[in-house]
Amino acid sequence: MFDQQLANGIFLGAVYALFAVGYTLIFGVLDILNLAHSAIFMASSFVALALVRHGVPFWAAFLAATMFGGALSVVLDRVAFAPLRARGVGGGALGPLISSIAFGIIVVSVMRGIFGPDEIGYPSGSVPTANLHLGHASFTAMDLSVLLVSLVMMILLSLLLKATPLGRAIRAVAENTKAASLLGINVEHTIGLTFLIAGALGAAAGILIGAQFNAVGILMGQRIELKGLAVIILGGMGSIPGAVLGGFLLGLLEVFSVAYLSSSYRDAIAFAVMFLILIVRPSGLLGKRAGRTA
Amino acid sequence: MRNITRVLIATAALGGTLAAATGAGLAASHPDLKWTAIFDSTGPAGAYGTSQKNALELAAADIDAGKIESGGQKISIDIQDSATSPAQVINIMQSAFGNGTSLIVGPTLSSEAFKADPLAVKANVPVMGVSNTANGITEMGPCVFRNSLSEAQIVPDVIEAAKKSWHVKTAAIIYGDDDQFTKADYTIFNADLPKAGVKVVDVETFHKGDVDFKAQLTKIKEAKPDVIVYGALYAEGAKLLDQARQVGLHGHEIGGNGFNSPQIIALAGKAADGVIVGAAWYAGAETNGNAAFVKNYTAKYSKSPDQFAAQAYAGAQIAAAAVKKSHPADAAGMCSALKQVGSVQTVIGPFKFASTRDADAHGFVVQIKNGTFSKFE
Repeated sequence: MFDQQLANGIFLGAVYALFAVGYTLIFGVLDILNLAHSAIFMASSFVALALVRHGVPFWAAFLAATMFGGALSVVLDRVAFAPLRARGVGGGALGPLISSIAFGIIVVSVMRGIFGPDEIGYPSGSVPTANLHLGHASFTAMDLSVLLVSLVMMILLSLLLKATPLGRAIRAVAENTKAASLLGINVEHTIGLTFLIAGALGAAAGILIGAQFNAVGILMGQRIELKGLAVIILGGMGSIPGAVLGGFLLGLLEVFSVAYLSSSYRDAIAFAVMFLILIVRPSGLLGKRAGRTA
Repeated sequence: MRNITRVLIATAALGGTLAAATGAGLAASHPDLKWTAIFDSTGPAGAYGTSQKNALELAAADIDAGKIESGGQKISIDIQDSATSPAQVINIMQSAFGNGTSLIVGPTLSSEAFKADPLAVKANVPVMGVSNTANGITEMGPCVFRNSLSEAQIVPDVIEAAKKSWHVKTAAIIYGDDDQFTKADYTIFNADLPKAGVKVVDVETFHKGDVDFKAQLTKIKEAKPDVIVYGALYAEGAKLLDQARQVGLHGHEIGGNGFNSPQIIALAGKAADGVIVGAAWYAGAETNGNAAFVKNYTAKYSKSPDQFAAQAYAGAQIAAAAVKKSHPADAAGMCSALKQVGSVQTVIGPFKFASTRDADAHGFVVQIKNGTFSKFE
């Protein structure tokens, strides 16, 4: 049983990690919690599903819906955050937080109007469903895809931030927008690109997780949002590797709480351990200080 | 986000025409009788509430057309969306009392009924539950009725059928512990399985909205039960069936009342094949008017009705029969009329209330086979 439960924990952790990577990127740059991230996650999942139901192959739908998520995220920035930035309302204020909630609610309402309240599954045979085995553990091809994509995204995003001109610009904006502007960095353009990347990451997470559990629904984003928030705080706000580490830790904590203690107290046990970790390391596992480490 | 559907039901065709022609009759002597239906058309229980809303709209049209007789009484039905929110149920109910409603139909979930029905009891407005299955619903007040069979009425038949056909000796139960609807599955199965000589070897729980159940299912696999009982709404239920296959569970399965929805088949696909469920109704049931109901519902909404739709439609048939028999003018009259309604032919079968105001009727044990509910044999 241990092998299977270890695999269950790792794959569940990958789900949380995948959701949290884009979530924490926006916090790292703008110092705001983007609570519309879960709506982009959900809306992109519906777009991919609709494309697949119209005969588009899954991986083509994945790419198209990921681009949709990126574009929607840029719209989110232009509509909900940019006007507030222009008026000097920046990170740490409640205005952007409320704006992101409002944008998220609008997206959820529109998607409910289009797709209805029911959860919808992928047509039979349209997504990989093969069962794979490693030792005594079994898992699906989609479980493995989510795990690999979350690890690859963490590595690519970390490289992008550390070793490219765009990454340097993002980090400069994260550190100080005025100083970045004085250095010749186009701050608004950089923020827009950050939203594009974060939205595409959120979209990829939504599409893969929707396919993994074969259920795309209006509430799928809201259901994972709180755990995603816990994961990015545990990992260290704004830290990409921290989000991934936090995701895996939460997944393993939940699964082993069920396996060796009680399923009724799964969340309570997992969150109690996270609470203890945060007492020891208030800035999170990999947070250098509270936030702004991208 | 409320989906408000206002339906005005005219006098039944012949009686209404005569009444209008003569200037006499019940339609002329009584103003409209108001009913308020409260269903979760959106939110996590949206599939159930949407079925109920559709069925009640169809019933309203059938009363209008004289297919369901109301004795010439005009009835105005206000169908409201409670969005799977007990607070919303309470708000709608309180507004309805102010508007002179004579009957509350609903709410969708037992958990909502336990919070809201006491308000109706206090306001002396009768309630007709058409999907509440937990124990203790009608005990809330002397005018709380339900036509839905309680889990306690259906479960013993399901266990007996599983024992007879599958020879099960051990069982594991997994259920949602934060919902009255799914918790009722656990309470009743956990009590009735041992009575039938089936040992419960493992009990696992989950929360509404969870998507990953592999840890619990892996633990159940270790316990090697002959049958797994699922107390889940369709969204979690479909994932449970799917993931049970993924961790290598291929044994016998029983679904609780939440599995009585075509949505479970739509989402779980082949993973749902073989599951048995206790049901108050199924599409192929040879009950009075059922074939026409299934045909008309499918034609109007481009999808098959489910048990929730059938029970909502039957609820309207029963309440209309009560109106026809006793000609109530207000909420107190409606309560008396329901108590005196006697036996009514409905799409869920011959129906009458027990002295406890619960349904005095029998259910069916059905099995999901090739994407449809069939009688389990």
